[in-house]
Order: sequence, then C-alpha cells, then structure tokens
Amino acid sequence: MLQNLTLILPEMILFLGAMGLLMIGAFSKGDSTRTVNLGAIAILALAAATAGSFANNAQATAFNGAFVMDSFAALMKVLTFVATGIAIIMSQGYMRLEKLARFEYPVLLLLAAAGMGMMISANDLIALYMGIELQSLALYVVAAINRDSLRSTEAGLKYFVLGALSSGMLLYGASLIYGFSGSTNFVEIAAAFQPQDGILPMAQVLGLVFLLAGLAFKISAVPFHMWTPDVYEGAPTSVTAFFASAPKLAGMAIFLRIMMTGFENALVAWQQIIILLAILSMVLGAFAAIGQQNIKRLMAYSSIGHMGFALVGFAAASAAGVSSVILYMTLYVVMTLGTFACILSMRQDSGPVERISDLAGLSQTRPFMAFCLAVMMFSLAGIPPMAGFFGKLFVFRAAIDAGLYSLSIIGVLASVVGAFYYLRIVKVMYLDAPADEVNEPMPRELSILAGVMTAFTLLFFVYPSPLVELADKAGAVLMQDGMVATDMLQEHLAGH
Amino acid sequence: MHDLLDSYYPILIFMGLSAVITAALLLVPALVAPSNPDPEKNAPYECGFEAFDDARMKFDVKFYLVAILFIIFDLEVAFLFPWAVAFGDVGLFGFWSMMFFLAVLTVGFAYEWRKGALDWD
Amino acid sequence: MGTYHAIVFFPLIGAAIAGLFGRLIGDRQAEYVTTGLLILSALLSCISLINIGMDGGTQKIMVLNWISSGGLDIDWVLRIDALTAVMLVVITCVSSLVHVYSIGYMSHDPHRARFFAYLSLFTFMMLMLVTADNFLQLFFGWEGVGLASYLLIGFWFKKASANAAAIKAFVVNRVGDFGLILGMAAIYFSVGSLQFDTVFDSAEALAQGEFDFLGMTVPMLTTICLLLFMGAMGKSAQFLLHTWLPDAMEGPTPVSALIHAATMVTAGVFLVARCSPLFELSQTALNVVIVVGGITAFFAATVGLVQNDIKRVIAYSTCSQLGYMFVALGIGAYQAAMFHLFTHAFFKALLFLGAGSVIHAMGDEQDMRKMGGLRQLIPATFFMMLIGTIALTGFPLTAGYYSKDAIIEGAFAAQAAPHMFGFAMLVIAAFFTSFYSWRLMFMTFFGVSRSSNETLSHVHESPPVMLVPLVVLSFGALFAGAAFAGLFVGSEQTAFWAGSIFTAADNQILIELKQVPGWVVLSPLVMMISGFALAWVMYIYRPSWPSEIAAQHDLIYRFLLNKWYFDELYDFIFVRPAKWLARFFWKGGDGFVIDGFGPDGVAANVLRVTRRMVGLQSGYVYHYAFVMLLGVAGIVSWLMLTGGLS
Repeated sequence: MLQNLTLILPEMILFLGAMGLLMIGAFSKGDSTRTVNLGAIAILALAAATAGSFANNAQATAFNGAFVMDSFAALMKVLTFVATGIAIIMSQGYMRLEKLARFEYPVLLLLAAAGMGMMISANDLIALYMGIELQSLALYVVAAINRDSLRSTEAGLKYFVLGALSSGMLLYGASLIYGFSGSTNFVEIAAAFQPQDGILPMAQVLGLVFLLAGLAFKISAVPFHMWTPDVYEGAPTSVTAFFASAPKLAGMAIFLRIMMTGFENALVAWQQIIILLAILSMVLGAFAAIGQQNIKRLMAYSSIGHMGFALVGFAAASAAGVSSVILYMTLYVVMTLGTFACILSMRQDSGPVERISDLAGLSQTRPFMAFCLAVMMFSLAGIPPMAGFFGKLFVFRAAIDAGLYSLSIIGVLASVVGAFYYLRIVKVMYLDAPADEVNEPMPRELSILAGVMTAFTLLFFVYPSPLVELADKAGAVLMQDGMVATDMLQEHLAGH
Repeated sequence: MHDLLDSYYPILIFMGLSAVITAALLLVPALVAPSNPDPEKNAPYECGFEAFDDARMKFDVKFYLVAILFIIFDLEVAFLFPWAVAFGDVGLFGFWSMMFFLAVLTVGFAYEWRKGALDWD
Repeated sequence: MGTYHAIVFFPLIGAAIAGLFGRLIGDRQAEYVTTGLLILSALLSCISLINIGMDGGTQKIMVLNWISSGGLDIDWVLRIDALTAVMLVVITCVSSLVHVYSIGYMSHDPHRARFFAYLSLFTFMMLMLVTADNFLQLFFGWEGVGLASYLLIGFWFKKASANAAAIKAFVVNRVGDFGLILGMAAIYFSVGSLQFDTVFDSAEALAQGEFDFLGMTVPMLTTICLLLFMGAMGKSAQFLLHTWLPDAMEGPTPVSALIHAATMVTAGVFLVARCSPLFELSQTALNVVIVVGGITAFFAATVGLVQNDIKRVIAYSTCSQLGYMFVALGIGAYQAAMFHLFTHAFFKALLFLGAGSVIHAMGDEQDMRKMGGLRQLIPATFFMMLIGTIALTGFPLTAGYYSKDAIIEGAFAAQAAPHMFGFAMLVIAAFFTSFYSWRLMFMTFFGVSRSSNETLSHVHESPPVMLVPLVVLSFGALFAGAAFAGLFVGSEQTAFWAGSIFTAADNQILIELKQVPGWVVLSPLVMMISGFALAWVMYIYRPSWPSEIAAQHDLIYRFLLNKWYFDELYDFIFVRPAKWLARFFWKGGDGFVIDGFGPDGVAANVLRVTRRMVGLQSGYVYHYAFVMLLGVAGIVSWLMLTGGLS
C-alpha cells in the first residue's frame, strides 16, 4: 500500500495540489489568479522533482501492475511537468491581457498534468484510459476557456466531439484486446498477442488498429490529426502553446510504452501502421503548412509534421529508436515552447496578431525576438548546428539502422519541403519591409524564456551528451522491459 | 454459416422483446389509464413549462447545469450503494478509498457552490 | 629569380597592377607601369637571344612543382632554347612596341587601365606558351592567350559586333583546342608523360605504335600529330578554322597588331616547330600540313583581293602568310617557318599599326573606299606603311624577301608528295599578296580623296608616341631578314637552333632550297612585280577598271567578297543546328522537363498539393470524424491486402 502511494506521489502531489488550489481560488476574496498560478507552478516543480527522484530507481509497479514507474516514466514526467509549468508561466501575461485570467486555468492544467502522469506510467489498459480521459477532459475545457469567443468555444467543442470519438475507438480496441488476451495488463497482453507464422489474427489486429487510432489522435498523427489545426487556431495562444508541448510528450510516451511492452511481439502488424502514420504525417505536415497565413495554424501543421518525424524513430522499434524519439520529443518541446514564447509576444495595442505577414521586418523593429524566432525556425527546419538537426539525425539514423531506407528518404524529402515554410518566416522577418504590426514590447518572462530556449537550441550541439545519455537510458529501460516480457512469455510457453 | 447465425439468435430474441415492450408501453397507458383533466392538472409546472406541450422546445440552459450537477451526485450514490453493501468486506482500504472519493466530490461541490452554480440567478 | 623569371613575370606583375589597382593609380600610371615593365622584359629577351645564339643548348628553370597527382607529375619549368628565345624576342618586342603605341592610340578611351592589363596579361600568357616545358604548361598558355584574345576583341563590349566577334573567336578556337586536348590525351595515354623531352624521346616508339579506335587501327604518331595540328589550325586561323580571324579585327587595332598578326596566331606555327621531333616522323601529317597551309595561303589571298576594310585586308594577309609558314613546316623547313614568323611579326605589326595610324587619322574610318590621297596628309605613316608593304611583298633585301623566298624555294625543292601543290599555291599567293598590298597602298594613299571634306580637315599625323614604334618596326621590317637569314636558315642555323628544332637525318631541305633552278628563285620576284603592276594599272592608271571587272564577273567577285561564303556555310552547318539544338534543350529540356518536373514543377505541384491538403480542412466536425474512420478503415484494409493478418 505504501509502495503504491510512493510510486504515484507525483500524481498525488498534482492532484491534491489542484484540489487545494481550487479551494483557495474558490474561497479567496478578490482575484486569486496570481496566487493560484504561482502555486500551480510550485506544485508542478515539486511534482517534477519528485518524479525526477525516481530516475535512477529500478522499475517498480503499483496497484497490481497497473501503474509502473521507471526511468523512462521519470524522464517523460519531468519533461511533461516542466513543459506544463512553462506553459503556465507563458500564459500569465497573455491571459491577463486577453481578460481570460481565471484561477481555474492553472488548476485544469494541473489536473491535465496529473492525467498525463497517469498516462506515462500506465501499464494497464484501464489505467491508460483513465489517464487519457483525465488529461483530455481538462484539455477540452481549456481549449474553450475563452468562452466568449466563438472560435475558442468551437475549438473546444470540436476537440471534445472528436476526442470522444477517438476515446470510443480506443475503448473499442481495448475491449477487443481484452477479449483476446483475457487481461488488461500490458505484460499479459504481450503474451497473448503472438503472431503465428508472422501473421496476427485479424480480430487482434482490429483491436490493435483501433487502439492505435485512439492514441494517434492524442499525438495528432495523420489521419487522426484533423482537429489539430482548428483547435490550435481557435484556442487562446497560450493554450495552444500548452497543447503543442506537454500532451504530445505524454501521448508519445504512452504510445511508445504500449507498443514496446504490450505489443512487442506484434511488431509485424504495428510497425507498418507506424510507418504509414509517419509518412502521412511528415508529408501532410510539410505540404499543408505551406499554404498557411496564420502562424498558429502553421505551428499546428508543424507539430503534425514533427510527430511524423518522431514516429520515424518509433518505427525503427529498437532501443536506439526509442531513445531517438525521446530525444526528438524533448527537443521538439523546447523548440515549440520557444517559438510560442515569440508568438505570444506578437502584439499590438489593439490585441494579439497571428498572421505571418505581421512579422515583416521584425528584425529591424524587434531584433531579439526576431533572432530567437529565426533560431527556432532554423532548428524546426532541421538546419545544423541547431538542436532540431540532431533530433532529426538521431531518428533517421535509428530508422536507417533498422533498414527503413525508404521511410528515411521520404522523411528527408519532407523535411526539405518543410524547410520552405520555416525559412519563409525567417525571410519575412529579415528581408521584408517592416510592417510595424508587432509593436508591443516583449514581456519580460517571455523574453527570458525565449532567450533560454534559444540558447539551448543554439548551443545544444556543444554539450549534447547529458540529454542523449538520459534518453538512451530511458529508451533502454523500455526495451529491457520488453525483454522482461519476452522472458515471461518464454516461461509461459515452457509451462505448456 | 448456420452456426454463426445461431449464435446471434439471442440477439434476435432481445430485439423482438424490446419491440414488444416498447409497443406495449405506448399502447397500454392509452388504453387503460384514466384521463380526468382539470384546470389544476393542465396548469403549467412551477418551472414554467406547459404540462402538455411539444417535448422539442427551447428551454433555459440552466436546466442543463442542474441536470449535470444532479447526475454527478446521482452517480455518487450509485457508487455508495454497492460500497455500503460490501462494507464488511472492503476493509480499511475500501473505507478510505470511498472517503477520498467523497472528499473530492465535496471539493467539487464546494467549488460549484462558491461559484454560484447552484443559484438560479 | 633570374633573367627569365623577370622576362616572364614582369608582364604578369604589370597586368596585376593595372588590372587590380588601375582605378586606384589612374590610367596614366597603369600605362606607364605595364609599358615600362614590358620594355624591360623586351630588353632582357634580346640579351637572352644573344646569349642563346652564342651558347646554344637548352636551359630549364624550375618555377614550382605544379601538379602531383598519382602518375601525373608536372613541374612548372621554363624551357629556354633557341626556339623559345626567338619567340621571346618577337613577343616582348612587339608587345612593348604595341604598349607604347597604345598609349597614343587609346588616349581617348576611358578604360585604358583595363586595356593595358589585358595586353600585359596576354603577353604573360603568350610567354607561358612559348616557355612551356610540357604540353600542359603549353596548354595553360594556349588557353590563356585565347582568353586574353577574347577579352581584347570584345574590349569595346558595348558594341554588339565586338561581342559577337569575341565569342566567335573563342568558339572557333575551342574547336581547335578540342583537337589539342585530344592530342595531349593521346600523348599521355601512350607515353604516360606530358614532358616534352620524354615525349620526344619516345617519338620513334610512337611511330611504330597504333591505336585501336572503334575497331579501326590508326597509326599512333600520325594521329597525335594531326590532333595537335588541329589545335594549331584553330589558333593560327588555318583554312576551315580561319573564320574568326577577320572578325577579330573588331578589337582595337593595337590588339590586331599584337595578337592577330605577330604573336598569338603564330602559336600554331610554334607548336608544330616545337613538336618537330614528332612531325618529322610522320610524313602523312606533314603532307596534311602542306596542303592545309597551301590552301590557306591561296584562299586568304584571294579573299584579300577584294576586301574594302583596311584592317580586313591585312587580316587576310596574315592568314595567308600563316599558310606560308605552315607550308614551310610541312616540307620540313621548320627553321624557315620560324624565320618567316620572325620577320612577319615585324612587317605585319608595322602594317597593322600603320593602318591603325591611318584609322586614327581618319577619325575611326576603316573603309578604304572613303580614303585616298592621304600621302601628303600623313607622310610619316605613309612611309612606314610603304616599308611594311615592300617587306610583305618580298621586295629584294627586305625582311619578307629572305623568309618568303626561302619558303617558296623550299616548297619546290621538297620531296613530299604535295610539294608542287604547295609551291603553286604559294607562288600564286605571292602574286595576290603583291596585288592586294599595293591595292591597299594605292586606295589609301594615292589618287584623289574620297572622303568628306570635314573628315579631311581633321586628318592629322599621329603623335610621336605612335610613330616611334612604327619606326622601330620598320627597321625590323627592312633589316631583320638580312641580319638573321644566316642564323635562322643559313649556314649557322645548326649552331643557332642547337637541337631545339629536330630534323631527320635525310632532311636537307635548307641546303636543297639553295639549289633550285633559277626560274624558281625568280618567280616570287616576278609575281611581286606583276602584282604591283596590275594594282597600279587598276587603281592608278585606270581607276574605273575594278568596278567594271567586278560587274562583269559578279559571281566571282561576290564569292570572294563574301569570303567564299564560309560564314554562311558554317552558319548553315553548325551555328543553326547548334542554335536549334540549344533551343530544343532550352525549351524542351530546360523549360519543359527541368522546369516542368524539376524545381518549378515541384514548386507548382507543392502548391497544388498544399491547396488540396488545406482544402481537406473543411471545418466540419463530421468531415473530420469521417476522415478518422476512413483512416481506420484504410489501415485495416491495407493490412489485409498486404497480408499482415489472416
């Protein structure tokens, strides 16, 4: 019992913290938003620290194997919580200026973070579903947090309806999987999902596909991405910044865990699906973004494309592949948050501006912001020596090592197409005549954050090994966990 | 093929049953129920709805709020019943689990109260 | 750093200073620097010729290890022997005189620094060519002079015709260069070295060797020689590859004098003379050289008869005289060829510079039909031109007399099969030469003036800076033949050339040409006199005759006037198909294929794909849900089709 509570300590902190802050917000006199914000940041920091303390521990499970804590989970949780915290920091100024400042927002983000923590550590279909729903319900609400805005409520509603559909698919898949394996535990599912002569029974594949569809929705991989552009555009920018970062990390983490542990033997079936999703995501992300005028919408397609690149490493289905995905997601989150720190600073007296053309000549009017954004764009495009290049390098190397040559080639080509729209932003900022659309000064906390992210992106190549080692360790855990499952399976077979 | 259809036989029976019950529920009241309208019975409800009117009508969105809040506590009771029945078996762990659940619900209740969600105006 | 380094690199230094810092130091300073350095270089060359003439032998001066790549090891070595020394003198002397002359001639041009930089660069490249110790070095100079020639022909780049002429010169030369490259490749392929001595030492072996080419067996040495000769034909404007030279007169006149008369065009002669150890062993190649040289001498002379542009007449004359030199090479009289090259440099440069002086005086008028009677107006120029003309026509005791007569006599005395063809061509050409030279003189300086009074009022004698080079050259034109005949082709020739020119043991042509019958010796003189007489009759005595004859023989006249229609023929055979092909590749290849399916096409298609993908985003939830379900259905069907499940 004590071990159970110890292992879910980070989530408990978040949850209880959320409850407490809710009460503080509800019962305090006057505007408590600032207090709650700070409290939420502190709680996230505490949760991240707690999660981080598990980083070197051996794998341990709680609640009869439904919840697992290992260094993979620890790393992903730290990243997720930190990203959530940064999202809250970035949101403060924006929400205040947009008159959206409510104490419920940080509370909802805390609850979402708790859900994400649950997802990351899920080792059981029910725990997985619980985590996903806890996260999603919070996200549906924050998408529509600007309830006086038609677009924001529309975004929230769309997200909710489609999210419900994807949950339905996920549940349908889960029920099929349970039906065939007799268990909801990943380890036991792995034992049941065994291809015969390299072929998996159709009904099992059906369950797998539906489960995949539900998970792919969370990381907005094509063709389950349709909600992304509308929600990213419609939601308040600070919410978009959050959507593009932490939930993607958590979604990718659970996606990795379930495939590498629950379906490690069914590789033949899901690898092709992942390859397909990767190709579609990369291509659509690259092409569709070219046509965008709104920078938030562009970032939506950008994140779709980046999920595709991460899936390239995923498709490699090796320890190197998993660690490359972890690394890629980490760098992606840094770059995305850095970019959104700049996008959040795109303001004029009358309010925020979101069009790419509004950035014209930014290098002359706001050189620091233009520089940060340019570095982010170069990095997102994968131009060395920015961090984004190494992310791509690692995923493609993993894919090539796994013999996925055509996937890698398509990926590289897609990144070439994608480079166009990133570089177009740089061009608009540095070569076009100033439009003087963005004329409000950059808020202090945003400039600090943007500066830190830019420095990280720019200087990552100088000393990349700590992060790479962490990712390697986390990736190895996941694959080792898979090997544990393989051993169990062999015992199981020997028993018969 | 025959076996496959056989296995769906219970479903067919259920479909037939549901059709019969639905039809019966519609027909029987019309036939046997007494119909003695008087002005009091025909008067609108306190909430302002007509007693006999089209069900597909516009009404205040606040009703939804009340309904949703009601459902939450309805569910709470639905959880409480089996817990109470099995109280002897769930032990201390079961007891505290339910207490935590109730505490969380109470937090939510306190929040909605403070936010004035329970006030009609 | 020795004398030879100085000779070779002074022009380069001058070119660099004038070219890179011309704007900084000003035109006047650029002129002085380049000219001064070239005069120094010329003086040093003369000294070295005297030294070589006394010492003999070959000096090799290492500059640096140029290329060292696998089996290819090429040093940059200055090879100084008699052959090189002669060329050094010709090049640096004419070049320095042309530099001096240009100070006056180009005085009104706003881009003088650039002009002098080009001139000096050309000189350096030409020196590179003649001091080469291996074929690659030679090729470097060869292409360098081609480049400089291109730049100088197109010096007035705002003139469309100058640009066209520059491109034409470059492209036609490229055809010859292609042969030269192939020849070099064949040499490297068969000998494994490009170093002159190594190649020449294996000449005997090459003469025995054969190439297997497309199933044919071709003799190695002859192939190499013919390929090298192809390069020489291009550079020396020999028949079939001559078309660029007359057009090259679009360049400033000093350029014509330096590059297109005295030096660059003689590079082909130098190449064959340098490769005499190879050519001497291939009678077939020598026969080809005789025939091509003979045809060129004759052909160019006929065209020269009717040209009206003063510079074009001299250009065709140059072409014709180069034909003489090649005939001399073909009959094995390399020394005679070099001798004619030497003397020709003086009198042809003199003629060009004199013509430049005339043009200068007439205010850039080049058409002889608008001249006449200039004798009294510009007497000094007239006198210089007269010296040039008598030297060219081979008036006894002038330079041309010694060199040209030696060639004509040699052609008669030679054993080679087509020697009589060559002899006949040269004798007829000698007649034509005399005629067109005197025609030029008569039309320009005699008779009544045909130009407007306004032009005449401005006619003035050229300044001393232009006349002094003419005087110096006229000395050369008069006395170079007599002074050097003994050394070049006479009794002292063996000692003078000192093995720099190889002649086979049975090649006694220089002795045999002294033993030809008297009528042969007299024939050039007769031709010269009759040419003079005819010109006098037609342009002084009966000035109406030329137009009457032209009218009577309209066909021949126009045939000659249009240079045997070579330009039209080439335009039809090469230029138009090439343009058609280029158009095809441009429109079809680049426009349709590359742009259509390459960058532009990809870009356009990217936009189309983008539009379609953006169009998918309709905003309707049920569309989105439908796409998700389609995705699931698609994945399941795909897995079924590919056999992922049973």
